[in-house]
Amino acid sequence: MKPSDKLIQTIREQQIQPVPRWRFTLRNLLLWSAFAAAALLGALAFSVVLFAIQQTDFQVISHLSHSRLELFLGLLPFFWIILLIVFLIIAIYSIQYAPKGYKLTLARLVGYSAALSILLGALFFIGGGAQRLEQAFAVNVGLYESIQEKKVKLWSMPEQGYLSGQIEQTSAGAFQLKDFEGKEWTVGHEGAFIPPVVLLERGEKVKLIGKMDGPGRFTAAEVRPWGGMERNGRRGRGE
Amino acid sequence: MHFTKDLCRQLSDLEIIRKSLEEVDFFSCLYERYEASLLRYVKRLGVTEEEAQDVLQEAFINIWKNLHAFDQSLKLSSWLYRIVHNQAISCLRRKKSFGKDQRAAFDEGLLVHISDSDQDEDSPEALEEKDQHARELLDQLPLPYKEVMVLKFLEEMSYEEISDVLKIPEGTVAARINRAKKALRKLSPRPNF
Repeated sequence: MKPSDKLIQTIREQQIQPVPRWRFTLRNLLLWSAFAAAALLGALAFSVVLFAIQQTDFQVISHLSHSRLELFLGLLPFFWIILLIVFLIIAIYSIQYAPKGYKLTLARLVGYSAALSILLGALFFIGGGAQRLEQAFAVNVGLYESIQEKKVKLWSMPEQGYLSGQIEQTSAGAFQLKDFEGKEWTVGHEGAFIPPVVLLERGEKVKLIGKMDGPGRFTAAEVRPWGGMERNGRRGRGE
Repeated sequence: MHFTKDLCRQLSDLEIIRKSLEEVDFFSCLYERYEASLLRYVKRLGVTEEEAQDVLQEAFINIWKNLHAFDQSLKLSSWLYRIVHNQAISCLRRKKSFGKDQRAAFDEGLLVHISDSDQDEDSPEALEEKDQHARELLDQLPLPYKEVMVLKFLEEMSYEEISDVLKIPEGTVAARINRAKKALRKLSPRPNF
């Protein structure tokens, strides 16, 4: 028997049927959908990374005399960075197995997926979505430590010269501050650097670099706006 | 239903596929059209003469099952080579000794393509010796290098076709060929290889 006849005989005997076209179409559709979803979720993660970078006080790190690396690592939004990487990998994997996906080199796959996530993520960040997403996480995910909470922690180290809170009362050369733990402070600011954006008004939230003089007493060398907090909102402290 | 070679010859690849889906006997036209070249390729990859026909049968069963997956923007031959390639590699991997003592059953004289162009100056005996040497060298290459060399120089495929067969980017094909050539130069004590 000719091999070609044997082949046809096998197909007939075993009643082998071609896989329906719709299954291949569905598979391709799922792969493209997975790519789109992963790129979109990667974009959301990237937007929060951007938000975290915006909220990070790099000046503080430069002021610290020790544990800068530890502080820097503590400020990095690892959760979102890991999410971004995971979604990028899913996006790359999906497109690689999509029709003609193999034509793209790994560098291009990474480049295109990352570019899409960065572009969409930047747009989402500019639109304010990153802040809302981060806030939703902070409210709904118990174990998640929000960027704002990390920021409050960083600016609640009066012994090391970092203090933050809301101005309660002002007087010449000094103001009363309630920190985010609710503790009252008398802050002297004579000769301190105060940018024009800081009005030193009652109810204004500020962060201070300076020196703790004693219990409830702090001398500011710099008074900066708290920044972002009012717009972002957060659970618990700092509101 | 019996098909004469003349009837098969009148049909294009796509027509055969279309008619096969209506009547399975037409599928034999496809098998017969590509049987010789695909069998040769399977053997070049290192599958033994006895197993080659089985590999081809299994591969064509897969081709039949996946007939609706054929992307018409590809050359049909590239798609067929891809499925046959995968089947051959699966067969080779099942064998314990794969990668150690495998010797591809290359056709005589084909590997002169990867030798230098001064072969005309060699006697038939010298040419035969050179081919034998080339076969031994190719067998020493890792599979990713060996397969691109076989497709490029023995199957005489373009980079694009190799890319479609192996499902790797064309740049990777080029890089592997370059590395394979370098590896061959290192392996060969002969200055002209």
